[in-house]
Amino acid sequence: MAVGAGRLAGATSRKLRLGGGTTFPGDVARAVDPQVLGKLTSSVRGGVVLVTGTNGKTTTAALLRTLAEGQGLSVGGNPSGSNLIYGLTAAALRLADVSGKVELDWLILEVDELSAPRAVAEIRPSGLVILNAFRDQLDRSFEIDQVAQRLQEAVLGLPPGAFWVGNADDPRVASFDSGSSPRGISKILFGLNDESVGHKLLPAVVDSRSCPRCRSELEFSLVYYAHCGLYRCPHCGLRRPNPDVGADSIRMIGLDAIEMEVVGPAGWRAAISVPLGGVVNAANVAAAMAAAAAMGVDQSRAATSLGRFRPSFGRSQLASWRGASFRLMLAKNPAGLEENLTAVLTLDKSPVLAIALNDGVADGRDISWIWDVDMERLGRAPDLRVVVSGTRARELALRLGYAGVSADRITVRPLPEDALSAVSDLAQTGVPVPCLLTYTAMLAWHNLLVRSGSGAPFFQAP
Amino acid sequence: MTGEEPLRLGHLYPKEMNLYGDRGNILAMVLRAQRRGIGLEVVPISMGADGADRAASCSGFFIGGGQDLDQDAVAEDLIQLKGEVLRQKVSLGAPLLAVCAGFQLLGTHYLTAAGTRIPGLGLLPLHTEASRQRLVGNLMITADPGLELQDPILIGFENHSGKTYLHEGLTPLGYVMHGQGNTGQSRQEGAWRDTVLGTYLHGPLLPKNPELCDWWLRLALGLECLPPIDDSLERSARLEAIAVAQRRDDFSRFRLLGRGLPTKRAR
Ligand SMILES: [Zn+2]
Repeated sequence: MAVGAGRLAGATSRKLRLGGGTTFPGDVARAVDPQVLGKLTSSVRGGVVLVTGTNGKTTTAALLRTLAEGQGLSVGGNPSGSNLIYGLTAAALRLADVSGKVELDWLILEVDELSAPRAVAEIRPSGLVILNAFRDQLDRSFEIDQVAQRLQEAVLGLPPGAFWVGNADDPRVASFDSGSSPRGISKILFGLNDESVGHKLLPAVVDSRSCPRCRSELEFSLVYYAHCGLYRCPHCGLRRPNPDVGADSIRMIGLDAIEMEVVGPAGWRAAISVPLGGVVNAANVAAAMAAAAAMGVDQSRAATSLGRFRPSFGRSQLASWRGASFRLMLAKNPAGLEENLTAVLTLDKSPVLAIALNDGVADGRDISWIWDVDMERLGRAPDLRVVVSGTRARELALRLGYAGVSADRITVRPLPEDALSAVSDLAQTGVPVPCLLTYTAMLAWHNLLVRSGSGAPFFQAP
Repeated sequence: MTGEEPLRLGHLYPKEMNLYGDRGNILAMVLRAQRRGIGLEVVPISMGADGADRAASCSGFFIGGGQDLDQDAVAEDLIQLKGEVLRQKVSLGAPLLAVCAGFQLLGTHYLTAAGTRIPGLGLLPLHTEASRQRLVGNLMITADPGLELQDPILIGFENHSGKTYLHEGLTPLGYVMHGQGNTGQSRQEGAWRDTVLGTYLHGPLLPKNPELCDWWLRLALGLECLPPIDDSLERSARLEAIAVAQRRDDFSRFRLLGRGLPTKRAR
């Protein structure tokens, strides 16, 4: 009954163009049967793995699906990124047959951090992947301590025999408690093991530099990204644990690819090349490999599988328009923008950069975080032109001005179509312009590019 | 004014209290001084006893917003180790600007949900009570005429669950035009007396409200007025923020998107 109602609602919603139909069917089905999510997902043969954390959920879930599919397994997910409880329900509905069975080997779902405890309680998954805990959209009224608390709740809510994969380099995540031992929960840590991709300084404003155990200030001997790196507490002795699955020999091929070796606990070692850019994505690959190993996926096929990987919507996706090419990169919070700026400034050769800042509800209406990002680096790149766009383009221009970017290097174009024109006027032929966009700005830019015939639509057909 | 000793700005608890883009407030002070040929040195005043000596060397102060856990530790350090020197400095005319959690710390006390009374600095007669409601959104106010701002609109963002009540005789910083303010009901926002000013406006506050930044600089320098500078970037960011605050009063229809906010307009 719930399944039928939900599927009908989905079809109707898409017909009426109420959106991609990604959550509305979930609302309807849950109203008919509040337990529908647990019932649907319990029929998945191998089990369900949830992927959560502030940044990298979509990419890591997609990597994990690619790894499992490479083994010949049938896998489903929520690639459209609807990751609240209604979105998960809608995704499960879409994958179910008329009798309410999900005939798949594995279901890999990305889950919003705050929804994670509820998703774990309803789904009782086989595994949970926690990538990181950064500051995100503070106007959702949650501070990072509360986010960490929710993630810890999710770990403690795992059913007996489940595994969880956590980030050794993120002090909070690495310190989560698996619960009392008889539950038989296995904890697998992933992390980066290549000091050449780290640096010595923490970003000016970091989300958590205090020890999760005693709240003293942590000391970092190396930082990979945000507050993730090699840390140690001078007071209680807490230190970054050795990861069970580590990435080393990391080499960045511009923003186009990462080459790395992933080394696992049973002595396995896989040389990977994946078409993604930036240090954080090396960590995402390690996380996906750790989860795949726990699911029993054979690591010897990983290199072949990941070589075929295609980035998700707006994660370093390439598109072209009026002879210029664009690299769309989602930058929705301080850690994301910081990391993307690092990647662009160190790995990219484009003389133009675009940044679009919207303050819609899905972006987070509070944009104060742009002031905490080290934009001063753009001030020190004297030849770089910056096109700023979005509903808060003028605040962004002010931020850049205060960061030392001279007025003649800043082009303010609040509307997406004007910004695209300005970018294509400034762009060099054949060099993609990195475009760092908040969530709804990404939708707007993406839709414009799709309408003009470049790039694939992002809402997946059922 | 060049060649003199640089002005010293005491930045209280820069690590613990830096939640809502407070770095932008510091940047605004430094740059607006610099553009008038005035050197401004930022002096971090952190936890511990040595902070009191550093504070004694400063001509003005700033304290920003923080997470609840940080705020408790900071409150004790602030009262025990810095309270005396701050009181003295302020009584001699040094400006103190406090935002969000910093604003709450200026009062007599904070009443937690469990009923515990956490003492504050007591620089302003006000107190804050924890509540279940979160007051979140764009906030636009008209500033108290006593501040003598040419453009009295102050614009920013608020995000607090504490409700702040001003005691008899204390002047609010201004009255709410859009948003919630101190309690969501009183229409009052912030508070100020002489050289001490507290507010829930962040986002950050000073880059978009340059006149308030100059208020702080004037007091810190002991000057009646400052030479005007080119404010065009500031002004357009300010107009953009004002337009956003005026346009988006009602968020209820966004609830369908699953990211709805528990904000009810008080009036
Ligand atoms: Zn410790």
